[in-house]
Amino acid sequence: MRFLVNPNRFNNFSDIIIKPLTIIAGIFIITGLIFSLYLSPDDYQQGSTVRIMYIHVPSAWLSLMTYLIMTIYSIAALAFRTPFGFIINTAVAPIGAVFTLICIISGSLWGKPMWGTWWVWDARLTSVAVLFLVYLIIIFINLSFENRVVREKIAAIFILVGFVNLPIIKFSVDWWNTLHQPATISKLSKPSIDPSMMTPLIIMTFAFIFIGILVAILRVKTEIHNRKHNI
Amino acid sequence: MYNFLKKLINFFYREYKINLSGFHDILTNISFFFISIFIFIFSIGPEKETLSLLSVGIVWSLILLSLTLSLRKFYQDDFDNGNLLIMHLNGFSFELICILKTISHFIYVQIPFLISIPIASILLNISFDKIYYLLISFLFGSLILSNLGSISSSMNLLNQRNYLLGSIIVMIFSIPVIIFSVAVINQEENFHYLINILLGILLIVFAINPWASGACLKLALQNN
Repeated sequence: MRFLVNPNRFNNFSDIIIKPLTIIAGIFIITGLIFSLYLSPDDYQQGSTVRIMYIHVPSAWLSLMTYLIMTIYSIAALAFRTPFGFIINTAVAPIGAVFTLICIISGSLWGKPMWGTWWVWDARLTSVAVLFLVYLIIIFINLSFENRVVREKIAAIFILVGFVNLPIIKFSVDWWNTLHQPATISKLSKPSIDPSMMTPLIIMTFAFIFIGILVAILRVKTEIHNRKHNI
Repeated sequence: MYNFLKKLINFFYREYKINLSGFHDILTNISFFFISIFIFIFSIGPEKETLSLLSVGIVWSLILLSLTLSLRKFYQDDFDNGNLLIMHLNGFSFELICILKTISHFIYVQIPFLISIPIASILLNISFDKIYYLLISFLFGSLILSNLGSISSSMNLLNQRNYLLGSIIVMIFSIPVIIFSVAVINQEENFHYLINILLGILLIVFAINPWASGACLKLALQNN
């Protein structure tokens, strides 16, 4: 597992893994799209719009997951002095921002036919919008300092302070009365979603995870290359 | 112990002299606050019904705006003329410097706002019992804002390009402050419950602030 903290080993490992990962991601996204667009049934209330869920939910999970990974790497980088964490932070922040943007846009496209409005100021939606702004600020911090050492450390400190938002997003549907529904799939209880809709959701989640890892590997490799050659 | 107290007194005396000679800066802040209230009233219209719905939110958001605009001076002057380093060499740790600067920012910048809030709320037709709640929520909220300002301005010490970044960082973390401090005034039946949440946020921020901004100060001094 040294490739998770060592840039050279990461490069070697990613050279091995990148071709199979591309193929697996392609297979997963194609089967997932076939399942979600043709094989899964319509909802009895929502009709065909329920298929937005297969994009919306995986991207929301991945936006949270990306921030969690960034937080873990910031702690590792600041406390245990592993500079690879800074590389991960700079490389992964735009990916998280894009996933959050996909989540917000697909959610508002889903909200128009179901709730009758593009946007409501309820707790879940607002906190996800704040997460998007936090991602944007991380990108801005990475762009606006001239000294690289200062820039990456300050971004890491900001990520740690901004972690407060994550539990708020997770529990916002339980703490406040929101229009957004509470979590359907949780670890502790039996999911209240039918298996015929559960299968495409899980396949799409794995497809999104593989695509995210693929883009992240490319970005991290570029970042390592840039730092080696002082670009 | 005696030496330490003497240093503390000297620190606050120095802050007092600096803020007294630069008092027009604070006055500029407050006049920005009033002028933006005028602009709000011109854009909304002077009807009493709409104003009574909006007034508390207007006051709070304008306080936040005018404070974030003044944050550039929090550490920057001391950092540029080297006083921060001298303080550190005199035996003040970075964390202690952050706490002291936050307290002095609260005293010399926020207290003038505390005085000008009743005048602004008379202009906006806020009733007297609501002014009482407004002042209490400002007392807690401004301490939180001072701590957040310390974090963001210490982050931006070496940032010579993008001056607005510090203001954005403060604004994004002050969202819960705005939510709960406006709710304190508008929902008087839940007063104790909401003021406890505000106090909790204050304690969290007060615990985070010295470590985060101390680390940033150290980083800025090392890489200057």
